[in-house]
Amino acid sequence: MAVPVFQGAVKFAYRFLVNNLVTLFLATAMTAIAWTLHRLGQDNIVDYSWWLLQQKPVESLGVAFFVSLVATVYFMSRPRPVYLVDYACFKPPATCRVPSATFIEHTKLINKDEKSVQFQTRILERSGLGEETCLPPANHFIPPNATMEASRAEAQLVIFSAIDDLMKKTGLKHKDIDILVVNCSLFSPTPSLSAMIINKYKLRSNIRSFNLSGMGCSAGLISIDLARDLLQVHPRANALVVSTEIITPNFYNGNQRSMLLPNCLFRMGAAAILLSNRRREARRAKYRLTHVVRTHKGADDRAYRCVYEEEDGEGHSGISLSKDLMTIAGEALKSNITTLGPLVLPMSEQLLFVLALAGRKLVNPKWKSYLPDFKQAFEHFCIHAGGRAVIDELQKNLSLTAEHVEASRMTLHRFGNTSSSSLWYELNYIESKGRMRRGDRVWQIGFGSGFKCNSAVWKCLRTIKPTVDGPWADCIDRYPVQIPEVVRL
Amino acid sequence: MLLHACTQSYKVPDSHLRIMDQLCLAYSTIILLLSSLLYILWRAFDYQRNRNCYLLDYVCYKPSDDRKLPTDLCSEIILRNKRLSLPDYKFLLKVAVNSGFSEETYGPRPILEGREECVTLAECFEEFDDCTFATLDELFCRTGVSPAAVDLLIVNISLFAPCPSLTSRIIHRYKMREDIKTFNLSGMGCSASLIAVDLVKNVFMSGKKRMLAVVVSSESMVHWYSGTDRSMMLSNCLFRSGGCSLMLTNDPSLKHRAKMKLKCLVRVHTGADDSAYSCAIQKEDDDGRLGVHLSKGLSKAAVRAFSANLRILAPKVLPLRELAICAFRELRQWGSRSTGKKANAPVNLKSGIEHLCLHTGGTAVIHAVEKSFGLSKYDVEPAKMTLRRWGNTSASSVWYVLSYMEAKKRLKKKDRVLMINFGTGFKCNSCLWEVLRDMKDGGAWEHCIDYYPQQNLVNPFMEKFGWINDDNVTIP
Repeated sequence: MAVPVFQGAVKFAYRFLVNNLVTLFLATAMTAIAWTLHRLGQDNIVDYSWWLLQQKPVESLGVAFFVSLVATVYFMSRPRPVYLVDYACFKPPATCRVPSATFIEHTKLINKDEKSVQFQTRILERSGLGEETCLPPANHFIPPNATMEASRAEAQLVIFSAIDDLMKKTGLKHKDIDILVVNCSLFSPTPSLSAMIINKYKLRSNIRSFNLSGMGCSAGLISIDLARDLLQVHPRANALVVSTEIITPNFYNGNQRSMLLPNCLFRMGAAAILLSNRRREARRAKYRLTHVVRTHKGADDRAYRCVYEEEDGEGHSGISLSKDLMTIAGEALKSNITTLGPLVLPMSEQLLFVLALAGRKLVNPKWKSYLPDFKQAFEHFCIHAGGRAVIDELQKNLSLTAEHVEASRMTLHRFGNTSSSSLWYELNYIESKGRMRRGDRVWQIGFGSGFKCNSAVWKCLRTIKPTVDGPWADCIDRYPVQIPEVVRL
Repeated sequence: MLLHACTQSYKVPDSHLRIMDQLCLAYSTIILLLSSLLYILWRAFDYQRNRNCYLLDYVCYKPSDDRKLPTDLCSEIILRNKRLSLPDYKFLLKVAVNSGFSEETYGPRPILEGREECVTLAECFEEFDDCTFATLDELFCRTGVSPAAVDLLIVNISLFAPCPSLTSRIIHRYKMREDIKTFNLSGMGCSASLIAVDLVKNVFMSGKKRMLAVVVSSESMVHWYSGTDRSMMLSNCLFRSGGCSLMLTNDPSLKHRAKMKLKCLVRVHTGADDSAYSCAIQKEDDDGRLGVHLSKGLSKAAVRAFSANLRILAPKVLPLRELAICAFRELRQWGSRSTGKKANAPVNLKSGIEHLCLHTGGTAVIHAVEKSFGLSKYDVEPAKMTLRRWGNTSASSVWYVLSYMEAKKRLKKKDRVLMINFGTGFKCNSCLWEVLRDMKDGGAWEHCIDYYPQQNLVNPFMEKFGWINDDNVTIP
């Protein structure tokens, strides 16, 4: 009994010492200086200072110079802070709900192949999706009405609802939007969705708009990265980032198993995020963006092909997911945290990692590599709700507890895989539960086709009270729920 | 008070006190002045650091000659659509003959080979691969840059955005680095190549470190409209295959190898106006067939967007003298409004630039710009000849125009080149480049530049199809 307590104490002492090394050193140095000055006496200090100025003007000027130079360089080279003022997620109407029974019934009517229906049923049973996930109105038709008009209608519904909510929450005016970044992977009409938003909200003619497409479920973080870069260049600017995935045109009509998964997992959703670099927004902003790290494994064949849009033998196009998906996601994550780790991990973890690495290289190759404990660096985790397997895999790899992945699992249950906007639903879950405190650090991880793994790190600027609106408002009290391994349908 | 404390301890005579006073003042002033100077110098240095965007090189795509789309083949393709009526055939043939294209523009293989109604995903990829990998291979070879050295990759193709993205396809092919920054733009129309350049410029300025960027700009032409709505049939006849790859950098040590430097870039989006937004829109016709509808309001939207762009561009590009003249004219016009007279003197664009790369949207666009700005035949020749030789290659057209000027050895050091293109939404983007060294590569025009400019611009099939211009003729 005493051994684990002792071990805990040692761990705590080690972490405290290493992480606060600089603070401790400075505190000791300052105490010593203050004590010496006190001993010297006030008059003697003044005399000495005047003597110094008179007798050694060059040196004193030089020192003053050096100090102001260092201060200027430090302050000038800091990047502009990027604040997340607020964000809004689309709440699908109850009329769009697709309970499992509805899904299976529709599948049986659309798809005549018994084996495909059984396969999709099995997927749904193990998917971790609940009974309240939603598909767009066009997908409620048998067969789905996948026209350009219906796709645009879905885009208008989800995007405009989210932006309207955001404008209401933040008081944002249409003329205040300087930058617009929209990402939607599988629907890219002409004119673009960004042009559609500019048209609807009568945005300014000198707006800097970008429309990203095809970049997968991690595209939300790519848009945040782009908005951040633009906010470094344009002072006093507001950036509106819209992340969504339009389901209507992407229903797969064939029978190839690897392509049936997206039908089962993808659901409608959208998020609108307001970023700003204006100093006065710092007062009401929820988060500040600290890091964005992007990793692209496209150079590797297997990684490139693991999420791939293609036509099956009968000419139906769909997205095929390979069996290696989890392995590749694990490898992409490892590459990503290799870059992210040094930026976010406390010194104690980095030191242990470096020691283990040095030991492996110099002492004995059989030493196990040390996997840093990311729970030391973050209070909250938002893992893209790509599917149950992804969340399980990441929970295992990062040694996370059930509470850490609760936001991801519950988002998958309530909203399904909403692609790039899922991270925002998860963040909203954490806020709705009243768990977000000032100073908390959040890690958003997105995976996407290509194969990409992108991370964004946010720091919470104020304790966030659960609100009465938002996608979770009417159901947060029912969560968390226990999701069984298999739900018999 | 401090001074008083000093005097108390030192018991310094008054004269010494005054000297120390002055010394103190002098030192503080010097430190303050020098710190301010330091601050200003630092800001200037920081502002300049890695901020410039240099165009190292660019390559325009020349498809293989078996993909040429002469007028008779074009009419054959049009006639394949059995749903069309006679007036529709006449209309389309008229468009084809009056388009200003020569017999040497290129079309996509599926359409040339009769598969326009059943294009597969694989064929879309093949079209992209042909263009992109050919231009990128040549670009990497000419610049001597390794694909692993690329830090930023941007692809813009409006009508084709598969998953994984086309940027991933390029990364996969060339085995680029894991930490590469990529953006795949889509749906942004014919103006997208300048939007991509804008994105590169912003990333360069935000990162402040030395970066190499590659931009691939092309269009997917295999989307053939197979219905009977005339406004949607136009895009079948007006667009041709083409594409380009650019390499840009902000590394000052590569300046000596760069061809041009970006001076300014102006983007205008008139999407807030409903008629501008819907003048070029992808939608289904009454039979459910997908196509791009081009409305009659297109030219008006283009003019409005261009004026808005020019209003912002002019002060950055034109010399003070010309700006003063323009301002004077505006005042006079305002003054003479009551008499009903209109001052129609054009803005003298040539006072601020030497060359103009106009998007080859069509003969009407080029003619309109020629007239509005009082440009000479020499000025619009590159755009006209590019339209003739390559057709409307969408976003990459301005680069073919630039390539014409370069092949004709018109681009000399210190020349200023203005690129303008338009896009759905409705957008008008323009950018000003400064030529850094005499440019003399033949590029995609190498094999045929000596035949240009062509004087006889009449379509050789005018005789065969000339009857279509006569509204009274009918075919039994």
